[in-house]
Amino acid sequence: MIPRLFLIYGMAVLLAVSFAEYRGWSLNRVDEVLNVPKSVRDNPGSYRSVYGFYHHYTGGK
Amino acid sequence: MTVGGPTPAPQVKSLNCPGCGASLTVRSFGHAVTVVCASCHAILDAQDPRLKVLEKFQAAEGEDPPRIALGSRGVIRGTAYDVIGFERRTIRVDGVPYSWHEYVLFNPFKGFRYLTEYNGHWNDGSILRSVPDVSPGGSSLRYLGETYKQFQTANAATTFVLGEFPWRVRVGESVTVSDYISPPRVISSEGTGKELTWSMGEYISGRDIWKAFQLEGEPPAPIGVYENQPSPLRADVKTVWAFVGVFLGLLVLLLVGVYSLARDEQVFEESYEFNTNAQGEASFVTDTFELKGHTSDVELTTRAQLDNEWIYLNYALINQDTGHAYDFGREVSYYHGYDEDGAWSEGSTQNSVTVPSVPPGNYYLRIEPESDPKHGTIPYTVTVRRDVPQAGFFGLGVLALLFPAGLLTWRSLNFEHLRWAESDYGAAPDDGSLLSTVENAVDSLKGSIAGDDQ
Repeated sequence: MIPRLFLIYGMAVLLAVSFAEYRGWSLNRVDEVLNVPKSVRDNPGSYRSVYGFYHHYTGGK
Repeated sequence: MTVGGPTPAPQVKSLNCPGCGASLTVRSFGHAVTVVCASCHAILDAQDPRLKVLEKFQAAEGEDPPRIALGSRGVIRGTAYDVIGFERRTIRVDGVPYSWHEYVLFNPFKGFRYLTEYNGHWNDGSILRSVPDVSPGGSSLRYLGETYKQFQTANAATTFVLGEFPWRVRVGESVTVSDYISPPRVISSEGTGKELTWSMGEYISGRDIWKAFQLEGEPPAPIGVYENQPSPLRADVKTVWAFVGVFLGLLVLLLVGVYSLARDEQVFEESYEFNTNAQGEASFVTDTFELKGHTSDVELTTRAQLDNEWIYLNYALINQDTGHAYDFGREVSYYHGYDEDGAWSEGSTQNSVTVPSVPPGNYYLRIEPESDPKHGTIPYTVTVRRDVPQAGFFGLGVLALLFPAGLLTWRSLNFEHLRWAESDYGAAPDDGSLLSTVENAVDSLKGSIAGDDQ
């Protein structure tokens, strides 16, 4: 029973990896925005980025 | 256990106990050496026509009756046997008594057979016809090409008897019992001094016993792990690890295939400068570039010439035709210097981000750089690649395959650990097996931790 389940599970893992590679999945976080107006090309400042208020690290010792 | 052809019933003789007059039924007449009267607990000489009383014993109040009643008939390995005798034997370990029950079975053609039961664990046993080859130290023995490991040696006393026995049974009699195991089998020696009797038992489930004797209800659930109980996971572990090997091989093939077939194409690269002294709108858009092929990932790499500073870039990858945008931000920062420990550095001048599942089409980037003001000019380069293989998924795939196999192995090792915890050694013998290797490693780890604490 357990080997049979593992066989199915292993095949599912291989399929998932294959599909993830084919579709180009990623672990990075990206926000999707729909219907960005074409005017952004002429006026880039009119676009408001989701990440515009990011708190920046000003590191160093 | 299969049902065979009809077997004649043994020769049954009805007698009376000379001690109390109660009627006795002797099912193994001519074979039994002693018979125990269920009424007065007199042990009688079955080979004496007058059934001489050999001894009497006092049965404890509330004595557990046999789970299989005397006189029951069951079919074991295709042969019908009658239950003719029952005894309880007890060993003491560190002053704690541990008792098991033995049932004497009889078939007029096949002779005697024994069933033992301890905490719901059953064994089907018979006397060996040849003497096993015991190793010089007694730590193992070989029988019919199989090695059995010594498990436990104890003095077992007979504490209760009932029915017929093919030996001169005595309550209180004590013998030394040694068990050697090779699950699901156990070979036991018992006796005193040089007179040893060897028997072999094979683990059998209570359910099979209940079925063989057509007993009502359910057998008592086994408690704990018994010495020769076969591990339910051992065979599974081997098969699962074989599957893991096959799947890892397939994963490597997949990796090679993905890396050879992936487009991994650079579709855009441009260098820019961000003037931190400049006022006004910093955002701008790039030229349009085409993402070809099927829906796939896009890897964007930023390389910046930084010297103890940072640059943050708000990116939007925008489909020129549909207005669908992928919005993300990336910081590139690099700091370095010297202190009392020597040279140090933090961060990197390069950063990559993978945008998942981007459909084909014509895209451009909107880039909005930020940094500390009045820090001069920061040159940076933006590179976009299409359909880039992600090695991380193969790593996750390996982990996903190893984790359940490791868990199963751990459970199997734990089963063996529980088995050997009940042995004379309290742990698996140091024979190079995986279990003994793991237990040695754990022991040395505990030793080193204890050493550190002191």
